[in-house]
Amino acid sequence: MEFVLQQFFTGLSIASILLLVALGLSIIYGAMGVINLAHGEFVMLGAYTAWALQKFVGLNLLPSLVVIFFVVAILGWIMERGVIRFLYERPLDTILATWGLGVIMQQAVRLAVGGELRYVEMPSVLSHSTSFLGVELSVYRIFIFAVVTALFALTWYLMQRTSIGMKLRAVIQNRDMAACFGINADRIYGLTFAYGAGLAGLAGALVSPLKSVSPEMGTTYVVDAFMVVVLGGVESLLGTVASAVLLGELTGAIAYVQNDTVAKSLALLAIVVLIRFRPQGLFVSKVRA
Amino acid sequence: MTGYLELRDVAVSFNGFRAVDGLSLTVEKGELRCLIGPNGAGKTTALDLICGKVKPTHGSILLNGRPLDRLEEHEIARAGIGRKFQIPSVFKELTVPQNLEVAYCRKTGVFANLLRFARSVESDGLEKLAEMVGLEDCLDAPAGILSHGQTQWLEIALLLAQDPQVILMDEPTAGMTAHETRKTAELFKRLKGRHTLIVVEHDMSFIKEISDIISVMHQGRLLAEGTVQDIERNPEVREAYLGSGGITGA
Amino acid sequence: MVARIDSTSDRVPVLRRTWVQISIYGAVCLAIFLVPVVLDNDFLLNKYARYLVLGILAMALSLSWGYCGILNLGQALSFGLGSYCMAMALKLRTVPVHTGEGGLPDFMVWNNVQELPWFWAPFYSMPFALFAGIAVPVLLAVLLGWFVFRARITGVYVAIISLAALVVVNLLIIDQQRYTGGFNGITDLAQLEILGMEFDAYSSASYYLVATVLTVCLFAALAITKSKTGLIMQAIRDHEDRVRYFGYDVAHFKIFAFAASAAIAGIAGMLYTIVMEFASPTFLGVPLSLSVVIWCAVGGRQSLLGAMLGAILVTGMQGALSESETFLDTWMLVMGGVFVAVVLFLPKGLAGLVETIVEHLFGQGRAARAATGKPAAGKDVSGTGKKAEEAA
Repeated sequence: MEFVLQQFFTGLSIASILLLVALGLSIIYGAMGVINLAHGEFVMLGAYTAWALQKFVGLNLLPSLVVIFFVVAILGWIMERGVIRFLYERPLDTILATWGLGVIMQQAVRLAVGGELRYVEMPSVLSHSTSFLGVELSVYRIFIFAVVTALFALTWYLMQRTSIGMKLRAVIQNRDMAACFGINADRIYGLTFAYGAGLAGLAGALVSPLKSVSPEMGTTYVVDAFMVVVLGGVESLLGTVASAVLLGELTGAIAYVQNDTVAKSLALLAIVVLIRFRPQGLFVSKVRA
Repeated sequence: MTGYLELRDVAVSFNGFRAVDGLSLTVEKGELRCLIGPNGAGKTTALDLICGKVKPTHGSILLNGRPLDRLEEHEIARAGIGRKFQIPSVFKELTVPQNLEVAYCRKTGVFANLLRFARSVESDGLEKLAEMVGLEDCLDAPAGILSHGQTQWLEIALLLAQDPQVILMDEPTAGMTAHETRKTAELFKRLKGRHTLIVVEHDMSFIKEISDIISVMHQGRLLAEGTVQDIERNPEVREAYLGSGGITGA
Repeated sequence: MVARIDSTSDRVPVLRRTWVQISIYGAVCLAIFLVPVVLDNDFLLNKYARYLVLGILAMALSLSWGYCGILNLGQALSFGLGSYCMAMALKLRTVPVHTGEGGLPDFMVWNNVQELPWFWAPFYSMPFALFAGIAVPVLLAVLLGWFVFRARITGVYVAIISLAALVVVNLLIIDQQRYTGGFNGITDLAQLEILGMEFDAYSSASYYLVATVLTVCLFAALAITKSKTGLIMQAIRDHEDRVRYFGYDVAHFKIFAFAASAAIAGIAGMLYTIVMEFASPTFLGVPLSLSVVIWCAVGGRQSLLGAMLGAILVTGMQGALSESETFLDTWMLVMGGVFVAVVLFLPKGLAGLVETIVEHLFGQGRAARAATGKPAAGKDVSGTGKKAEEAA
């Protein structure tokens, strides 16, 4: 029993990190149809900002989070205004452009602070573990889980219950029509992208104490996050949660019985098959073609 | 009685909305049939069903007794059905002759076409076609720069190059000048007999000029069928059109 | 409907343009052949041969992406498989020297493999290896293409699936170290010997081999794009659904484009093993695969020659700067910027830029002739390039 619980919590921990990274990606993809390959670099920049704030300003990770969110969000906003907004008519080209932007960010970081691994210290209040139902759990991982839940609730509230969320949904459905009703679609898109980027930055900051920080750390996250988004179906926040939990638990389970490579290959093959048969995602009902 | 092209009690629904709901339609070989109806009557969907863009949820569609409804779009095209779309659909990055060359589809296999180069014998005939529809001055330009009217003509020319037995025309005169519309009417009258045509139109004067028999659709089914006079006198048709200001105002 | 007597003369520029294109392609190939005549440096020739091979790879992507709209992010998969096929054959030739007659490739001995795996055995035959280097990538492309295109998966999803396929194979090759050499790849190879000719990687012979294959592949691809099949591929890129209503099975044409591209990439992979003298999992790595996309975009995805020269140019610059790590990092930064700029402002790459300039210089006659025609058409013809780019 304890073993099952342990497995379950491991999976949940993986899932919460997956969701953290995928949430921003899902919003950007779902709302704007932009495949943002630079998303991993936003994660990386969030981690580096955490590192820089700790090293040069002496700021603890927890208060840093607010700063990090805004730093990365502003960067995302600049990217959207400077590049992405010219490509809404050419979705395939956004893949290329965002990848180029990702390369620029990666190289800029490498040139600025070097390519060696960096470490971010875990806040001391959270660096112990606790026992729950007879299972040892890291408090920091519980903390991440809580933050993700809160961020998800916030995002859902923003999308469904605020006027800006309503405007965004209007723009998604019909951009020209929304513009006719006086909605500033450009501003909405800019803010959406910035918010998605900010979430990615938070994700990077939060995982930084668990993993080492390096210029190429974003790449792995972006692939996993994509799987979550594709599996969950675009435009479906709840689908994103469901698929994050599913993938997290699955990865945890497969990694236990098989080695990592096989787990990864199987997951990728599953994604391929999924796209083939349900391109709209697992958790979205079919709409009129 | 079985006709050449036949729709038998065809229905299709999108998320519960029945766009076409029990439509039966019979068209004889060589006939020019006009399909009219108020907005949302299901005219375009009816054409979509015939050419395979939409699969029926009920009923069957037959061409010369052969069922079409389970075939894929390209198989239906090979069976002899060509389609002009409401929003003119041409290949914007290709030139006018290249567009025509693609539409000229006697052979449809990959390898059969691998040894055919664009400068084949047929290209002369295709250029006459471009001339016929008044595009002889735009042979070098990509189709994306053509005006709306010219794009309409190009798509009509594509259908002539394709030379299908059945031609489905969705609002062919939209965006055309009065002169161009007359030219289209002449062309259609010439095509009649050799080809079987189904034309969806709103322009009543155009319909009066070209049609023999008109089919009126309303709310996804056939409301009436007959000559122009029959239709104009039909009280049911008048009622259906009432909201949009009578049949001529549609 | 006034019949114009000289209307057929409008076709002449199209025909002439094909000949101009063939001449330019020929001239570039000739220039490539002439390099060893003026350059007597085996080290540099080897380096240039590598760039040429990558040029073939980018050209292969242009065939599927530029001409048929299939953004294949896993182009390196075909390349890597071709490379491994050649490496396996060349490795087996070293067996008698390394581990004795009837032995095993050295890395298998180190991994305690007792018996040569069944899929290695046929590679004792060089003709089989050459065949497999093309057939294996083609077979995989046909299977993947059939799986994807029959279901009408398009655009972004094709990109994701092709990338996923690449990663899976890459992971498997690294994981199966006993049979594939794992992370180190297959190293310490014999030299290729065909019909008594030896192809030392550092010799003009190998360079000429690469140049010959490049010329053949380039013109074969050109022939495909000039055929009606090539035209239909471009129509599919433009408006896939419309093509179906003319009776063409879109999936077949896409599978063909995908497979033809894979064949050329496989050939390039075999050559790469010859000039690099090893095969490595990085040959089917994600970084290489995405780089191919950059080269292709920078050079001009809709031009076979443009894509090829783009690859040669970018990799050449990269090679020149690779002496220092800081240089290389700065270069990658600049490349990222160039790439974004190209995507934004030059969707047709440098080839498109050159084309526009040439048309502005020499296209006056044509534009003037068109201007005498219908006003609606004449008005726009001078801006053809720009308009078409906006539409793209």
